[in-house]
Order: sequence, then structure tokens, then C-alpha cells
Amino acid sequence: MSLLRLAATNLFRNRLRSILTMLGVSVAVLTFLLLRTVIWAWNVAADEAVPDRVVTRHKVTFIMTLPKRYVEEVRAIDGVREATWGLWWGGREPNHTSEFFATLAVDPDTWFDVYEEMIVPPEDLAAWREDRQGIIVGDLLAQKFGWEKGDTVTLESTIYPGDWQFHVKGTYVGTRKTVDRQTVMLHWDYFNEQAPDTFKEQVGWIVSRTSGATPTEVGRRIDQKFDVQDIQTVSQDEATFQRSFLAGFSMILLAINFVSGAILLILGMILGNTVAMGVRERVPEYGVLRAIGFLPSHLVALVVGEAVTLGILGGLLGLALGYVVINLLIGRWLEENISGFFPYFNVTSWNALLAMVASIALAVVASAFPAFRASRLRVVDALRRVG
Amino acid sequence: MIPLSYNLRSLTVRLTSTIATVVGVALVVFVLASTLMLSAGIQDTISRNGGRGGAVVIRKGSDNELSSIIDQNKVGTILASPGVKKDSSGQPLGTGEVAMIVMMAPASDPSGLSNVQMRGIDANVERIRPNFEIVDGRMLSPGSDEAIVGRAIAGRFEHLTVGDTIEPKKNRPLKVVGVFTDGGSNMESEIWGDIDTVRSAFGREGLVSSVRVQLEDPSSFDAFETAIEADKRLGLEAMTETEWNDKQSQFLSIFMTALGTTVSVFFGLGAIIGAMNTMYASIANRQKEIGTLRAIGFRRRHLLLSFLLESVLVALVGGVIGTLLALPMGLFRFRILNFVTFSEMVFTFRPTVAVFVTALLFTVGMGLLGGLLPAIRAARMSPVEAMRD
Repeated sequence: MSLLRLAATNLFRNRLRSILTMLGVSVAVLTFLLLRTVIWAWNVAADEAVPDRVVTRHKVTFIMTLPKRYVEEVRAIDGVREATWGLWWGGREPNHTSEFFATLAVDPDTWFDVYEEMIVPPEDLAAWREDRQGIIVGDLLAQKFGWEKGDTVTLESTIYPGDWQFHVKGTYVGTRKTVDRQTVMLHWDYFNEQAPDTFKEQVGWIVSRTSGATPTEVGRRIDQKFDVQDIQTVSQDEATFQRSFLAGFSMILLAINFVSGAILLILGMILGNTVAMGVRERVPEYGVLRAIGFLPSHLVALVVGEAVTLGILGGLLGLALGYVVINLLIGRWLEENISGFFPYFNVTSWNALLAMVASIALAVVASAFPAFRASRLRVVDALRRVG
Repeated sequence: MIPLSYNLRSLTVRLTSTIATVVGVALVVFVLASTLMLSAGIQDTISRNGGRGGAVVIRKGSDNELSSIIDQNKVGTILASPGVKKDSSGQPLGTGEVAMIVMMAPASDPSGLSNVQMRGIDANVERIRPNFEIVDGRMLSPGSDEAIVGRAIAGRFEHLTVGDTIEPKKNRPLKVVGVFTDGGSNMESEIWGDIDTVRSAFGREGLVSSVRVQLEDPSSFDAFETAIEADKRLGLEAMTETEWNDKQSQFLSIFMTALGTTVSVFFGLGAIIGAMNTMYASIANRQKEIGTLRAIGFRRRHLLLSFLLESVLVALVGGVIGTLLALPMGLFRFRILNFVTFSEMVFTFRPTVAVFVTALLFTVGMGLLGGLLPAIRAARMSPVEAMRD
């Protein structure tokens, strides 16, 4: 009988214990995967940022606006291929004021050229450009409110008083999942005409696409140009911009990382406890094995082999559970309800690998001490306990 | 009843396994207690804002101060409304404030950018916020280019130290002259300047974000609210300070509680299974003892109770250790972006009675769940069979 088979057979000796250990390991692996997935999902939007896009905003605060004339000045800068602008309008549906979505006043001529990941059918785009009161809506939002092409809808703004009427001209979809499909785009011109005097001729931010120079370099040129003017700007490439927002949550991510370390500790303890209990009960057997010629290294292999088998089985079960719970249950729910926050929520192969490696490594570490004890048994002492 | 000393002695016989279970439970309770303390800290910090029993007025339809814009000339109308408390000289107790956001570089990461709330205040602030106190330097002089910073962020961002200057508008530097506290409220994560200085720096001349008033007594809020909201031309909305504070903390505190509870439940499940395993092994080893106990007259329910108690006891030791480990978290400050105000706030972990009760209940629950099945098995053993082995 090979050593491996002996190790595997040992698992069937106390089935309840093996099953419980496997369950314990799988729950720990599931929790570990869940936490890793949260961290990954948090950062994925920044990873998918378009590399050649630069966002320029007010240097002091995002709630203050830039003069519209800055757009032309940005366009004239060397390295800027094209530029567009947007303004946070703060729209709400009067009958569903608790439903959050983004409403942006944008330039109809250039917006969708810069944001190529938002796809609008060409005839809808043309119709929207013609109608000053027109809006383009994310398909998910249109679905949520039951808006159809041709509808007239009323929106209110949390910033600008009054009820505003708009015509739904079409919907957009995203080329990637990180594209928020719940945004409303209205004509900046239409808003600007009716805006109170203090808000006229203002834009929230300017987005440029670069060519011939790195985004960082172009951003520096932009900021330098406005440095001598009354209102200064800060320009960041899109990934940096996203990350500076995420930095506000860095302590949560730190805490999650800490907790996922703690869960590994628990995993190790569940495994180690089981192995230690097994070794304690099998001392007489080890004596017999040693007496008939097995070496201490064989015993070590026997104990570690059993632990690793448990780790692998528990890990695999945890992965299976993880795919069901994370991808099918939580992931689907998040996608349907708050796709804006977590566009992706699934187990990546990297995290799955990490979980497996962790449970195997912990199985080795956790069984090291019991294995060492088994190998150091004196045959005479062990045999004395044979009943 | 089987004496507890029996359980205690059994636990010390298999010390390694007992310790493993205790440490597992302690880790789970530590995580649970920490998140509960943070959630309590968030609610508590924000609820300390203001003088209690006051009211806040913002533009109708705005969720927060940032998007609320009120004409300065409406402030007089608001302060003259019924229900507003007056001081001995007949002056209404209330003030208009302007709330803005500035980007600052954290002292720990000078290349990063983070949002910090900035507030324009007038001389009335000390009467509206009774807990306000200068703890370093001095109060800013009215109408000057001076600023004071909350204790929670002083030194945490570049230039936020007494004697340094910040520049919300080019060539209009504000000199930091003091550090203030406000009874531990979220105001301590803000920068304050003179209202006119802040307004002109942000191009908001003649506007305020919110108006805060003291009420004669809490019951006069209804009259105040009716007066404010009846005048449709004002386009304003009134709420009590409590309601306002809840609105600011709601999302963050629900988010933290949900995250913490989900993690703790999964975590707890792992620890319960571990505990169950130990308990099964320990019962299997005590088969003869169990048989003997039955033979000398203890009933099934005595055994069930005894083993459940043993399991709860182990869990409680772990739970108490976990909670004690969580207590020093009170020394740490937790920096997080509040979704409602879009600015970073600093919170502390706050140990409350509710936190301990919840952690304790969770611990007992873990002990009961982990011990139930093994205890049932022990209770079901036939004394004859058990002793035969």
C-alpha cells in the first residue's frame, strides 16, 4: 500500500471530522474569495480607464466650475486631439427622488466622440443633436423608468430650481461593463440659456483625448497654461482621477485586507486542529508503523499528506461555493441593482489560484508541528499504548 | 446538574484544541466588535453636530449643503420665523453658513488629492454650536483672511497647521490661526473661515448654503417648519438637527454595518465548524465518562446541558478576548469619504453598551450552534454501549 493511499484512507476513518474540516476550510475559502473580490471590483474601473483621456477640473474643488472659454484654449494646446466638456446637473425623477442617477449637461457635437465607449445608434444621435430639449439616456435607466424614445419627461435638479421638460431621443449602451448605463445627457446650450446668471457660460470639467504626447505631459501643459489666469486647473489622466477618488476609501480596503488575512489564520487553525487531533489518536499506530520499518520521514509525509488532501478538497469545495455565491448570487444582484458601483463582481482566476495556493500552503504549515511530533515519537513509548 | 468543574477540567486536558477554538472565536468577535464600534462612531460623531434641539434650513430639493443655495436676503426672513429662540437682547439665535469643498494633499501622500469640507462662518457660530472650543492658537477674527481647522484633520493634510497658509483662491491666502474642537462632532473634519472671505474665494457672494437656528423648545419645530415651507417663494425646507444629522450619516453607517455583519457571519460560520469539530472529538474521547455519568444517574438532559455549557464557555472566553482586543481600536482614527458630503471625514471606533451586548449575543450564539449537534450526540449515547468500549 503506497503512502499516499494510506494518507487518503485515513480521511475515511473519521468521516464526520473530515467532512466538517472540509466544510470549515471551504467557508473560509469562500469568505477569502468574497473579500478579495470586493477589493478587485473596487479597483477594476480604474484598470479599465481609457489611457489617452485627460480630465481637467477646478484646482480648488470639484464643485466649482470653469469658464466655458477654457474649452477652446484646451483645444489649442499641442497634444490635444479633441476635447469636450460636461457639467453636473444633479437631475432627479420627481416621482422617484430616491433613485440616484447621473445627469450631465454636455456638448452634443463632441461628447460621444470623446466617450467612444457609449454607443448611440447614428440616427438617434442625429435626432438628439437637432432637438435642443433632447436627452440621451442609458438603456438601464430608460428601462427602470419605462421611458421610450419620443417620450416627454420631467426632471428636477438638486442644484437648479424649477421643473425641466426633456424629450427622450434615444438610449446608449456600453462597449464595456464599466460604462455606467444609467446616465442622462442633456444639451449644455439648452441649460445655459435658462441658467441663473451666476451659472452661465460655465462647465464642470473638460475632457481631452491626447495624441503625440503622454497624458501626464498634456495635463501638465494644460495646467501650466491656466496657472497665470484667475482660475487654475488640475488635470489628471483618467486612471489617476479614478484612483484619487478611491483613495477616500483606502482605509476600508486596508481593513478588508486585514480581515482576509485573519480568515486565513482561522483556516489554518481549523486544519491544524483536525490534524493534531488525528495524530494524538493515532500514536499507537505510528508506533507499529515505525516498528515494522517505516522511517520518521514517512510519518511526516503521512500527516502532511492528509492535511494537504483536506486543504485541496476543502479549497475546491470553497471555490465551487464561491462561484455560486459570488458570481451567481451577489454578482448578479449587484449588476441588476447598483451596476454603477460594482460593474464587475466575479471570482477572477487569479483570486481563485491565490485561494487554492493559500489553502495548500496553510495545510502544510498547520500540519508541520503535529507531523514533527509524530516523527519524534519513541517507538517504545508509542507501542506501550497499543491496547 | 453535572458540576461545571467537570467541563473546566475536560477543557484543560485538551488544551491545544481548546486554545485553537478560543483564538478562532476571538478573531471573529474582534472583527465584529470593531465594525460595530466604527458604525457607532460614525453615528455618534455626526449626531454631535449642532446644539441639539435646533433646526437646519436648506433649499428645497437639495439633499445636502453642497447643492443647497439660499439668497442671503432670505436669511433674515428665516430668522424672523416663529419658534426661533432669541437671546436676552432680542436677537434671534441663528446663522447662515456656506459649505464648500477644497482639494488638499494628505500629509502622508503629498501627490494625492482628497476632498475636505470648508465652512464659512460668522461670529454667531459659538452661540449656535455650544460645544465649539479653540484648543490651540486663537479664534479667527471676523472679516479677516484667517482660518481655523478641526482637530481631526489638523496636521493630516499639508498646510493644515497653525501658522501655515492655505490658498483656496490664487493670491488670497488664508492663514491658519487656530485648531478647534466641537464636542467630537464631524465638524472637527472641517476647515472654517470667515463667511465673507470664503464666499468671495468661491464666487458665492450673497449666498449661503444652509441656515441653522436654535428653537425655543423642540415642540416649536412644527410651527417653524410650517412657516418656512408655507412660503413657496422661499423654496426652502426645514428639518430638525437630528433628522439632518441622520441624513448625513445614514448611508455610511448602513454600509459599514452591512459589510461588517456579512463578513462576521461568514467568519463565524468557519469558527462554528471548527468548534463543532473539536467538540465532537472531545465527546468521542469521553465516551466512557459519558457512559459512567449516565450509569450513576445523570439524565440525557443533564448531559445535553453540560456539553452546551462547555461549548458556550469556550466561546465566551474567546468572545471576551476578542472584545478586549477590539477596545484599543478606540485609539485609531478611521478616515473615510462620506458619500453624502463628498468629503473625507475622520471617525473613531466608539465602544458602546450596544456593541458589547451584540458581540456577546453573537458569541453565545456561536457557542450554542457549535455545541448543539455534538451535545445531542453525547446525550443520545446508550450508557451500556458507551461503557463497553
